[in-house]
Amino acid sequence: MLALIYFIVLAVIALGAAACVLLSRHPLYGALSLIVSMVSLAGIYGLIGSPFLGVVQIMVYAGAIMMLVTFVIMVLNGARDSKTPMFDKVSLFVIPAVLVLAGLVGFALVRAPLAFDATTLRGSVALTSRSLFDVALTGPGYFMLFEVLGLLLLSAMVAAVLLAKKRLGSVVSENTEDKH
Amino acid sequence: MDIIESRTWIEWVITIAKFAFCFVPVLYILLLIPMERRGAGFMQDRQGPNRSYIKIPYFGKIRLFGYVQNMCDGAKLFFKEMFAPAGVNKVLYYVAPAVPFAIVFLSPCVIPWFGPMVFEWGDKMVRIPGSIIDSDVGVLLLMGFSSISAFGAILAGWASKSKYTFLGALRTSSMTISYEVCLGLSLMGILLLAGSFNLTDIVSWQEHHVWGIVAQPVAFFCFLIASIAETGRAPFDVAEGEPELVAGYHTEYGAMQFGLFYMGEYSHICINSFLIATLFLGGYSVPFVTTETMQAHMGGALAILCGILAFLVLAFLHMLYRYSRKLKATEQTHRFVVLQEYKLYKICGWIAAVVLVALGVCAWLFYNPANFVVNGVAVGSLATAVGTALIHLLVLVVKSVFFCWVWIWVRWTLPRFRYDHVMHLGWKIILNIALINLVVTAVIAKLAGGN
Repeated sequence: MLALIYFIVLAVIALGAAACVLLSRHPLYGALSLIVSMVSLAGIYGLIGSPFLGVVQIMVYAGAIMMLVTFVIMVLNGARDSKTPMFDKVSLFVIPAVLVLAGLVGFALVRAPLAFDATTLRGSVALTSRSLFDVALTGPGYFMLFEVLGLLLLSAMVAAVLLAKKRLGSVVSENTEDKH
Repeated sequence: MDIIESRTWIEWVITIAKFAFCFVPVLYILLLIPMERRGAGFMQDRQGPNRSYIKIPYFGKIRLFGYVQNMCDGAKLFFKEMFAPAGVNKVLYYVAPAVPFAIVFLSPCVIPWFGPMVFEWGDKMVRIPGSIIDSDVGVLLLMGFSSISAFGAILAGWASKSKYTFLGALRTSSMTISYEVCLGLSLMGILLLAGSFNLTDIVSWQEHHVWGIVAQPVAFFCFLIASIAETGRAPFDVAEGEPELVAGYHTEYGAMQFGLFYMGEYSHICINSFLIATLFLGGYSVPFVTTETMQAHMGGALAILCGILAFLVLAFLHMLYRYSRKLKATEQTHRFVVLQEYKLYKICGWIAAVVLVALGVCAWLFYNPANFVVNGVAVGSLATAVGTALIHLLVLVVKSVFFCWVWIWVRWTLPRFRYDHVMHLGWKIILNIALINLVVTAVIAKLAGGN
């Protein structure tokens, strides 16, 4: 019961921070929300009985990687508050696509039989991989989750490539001088 | 309610009382600030601030060896106006100083303050770990906390919207990234030897084998340098180097907001010195004596403790008498005021010395509690366990105070590094030494047959 309350609180914080990453105007706010999201994810890891993973999440992701990300953001355009519009013409295509994808994934996840068992989470690589991929043993739930993660990562990569391409294609007139 | 009834009430009392240790770093600030000021004075062959006084009617002035100066400074910081310059990012500007200061209260949770208390209560054997959270990932948690606390400096630098603070924040973030790596890698050798991330296990390994500084001398120096760099103190204080960046990331801060950064820095020193003492200097373990021996002769151990304290008090009295003799010989106008003050200290000192000696003799003669051995673990009474914990705590505090002094010593001895020198030292020298040390340790540990 107590664990459930903790889980709900942490999950709400994690999801809220993740939404803030999407909605924040300035990349630094996005990075900060991502840190909050990661720290609450670490709390969830601790809750399901793998504190090592949680601490490594804090150390590596919230500590080192996000520190690097904030460093890069600050080097690139830290002193300048970028006021890029949240929606433009491309959004007409992007938002429906994202919604359709989210609906598809949500439908798949809801339909997938996911029996959550804390004991299967601890243990060796062999045990973990068996519970992930042995469809006959644990049902297709975890396998589906794994595939969805792959899809998510793919879309993130496509987005990153798109962003990088846009930056390359545009005229190099980025004035990084601050004007506050 | 099950969780409450699963333990006896004494366990709950001690478990809750242990949360008081969260305040140790904050209390250490009270010790560190006068230590820094008078230490700096000592290094530079001057007196240090010692003129502020409290006037007591019918007695005279009390200066407490310059301690009153720190109270005055604290009061000044506390009552100054909170001020935010125009154009700052208000929310982040106010949140930023709280981040490192909040971490200060979290970090002490994983440090083992004393050995596990094992005692008999009723007919049950009770075991209470010495740290607030007896976690299997203790060291890593501490590393995670310290890496998060650097975000305070970054947010402050960014929210202030000033070039100097911004550059300071950039330097802080890059330095934190570089020295976190060195810190973690130089730690790995001792973790490999102890075979655990749990700080209590590491200390008990050191208690039964050798201290970490003997087993891992190279790692000790790497760790010391990296943790000095991580606290951002001179000679590594490029993030707030005043010839280049005014005051670095906290240029725009004043009053207690600046005070929070200041206190966060000192508390970070405190936590890091506790960590070094725990990892490399045997933590709470008393040198040359195992906990079992100490518990078997509890009265004697307490007597020796009282003896050491009495010796310190006598040394203090000796210093006072020498000062007064010197002062009497001079022609200084305020010498009678000072001598009057010293008279008070002398009275307090003699009372303390007599009380300590009496306590020690009483402990030696009248306190000989019986011990039982249950499953190979010595089990005594509650009083024995508390006495052991007290001795352990004092030993740990002495070790950590020594390292606090090392911080001050280094700061006032070495000139500040240039920014590229700091990066060079971190990435090209310490990191490689730590890596080689780790490899050599692993090979030797494997050849010698594991742990």
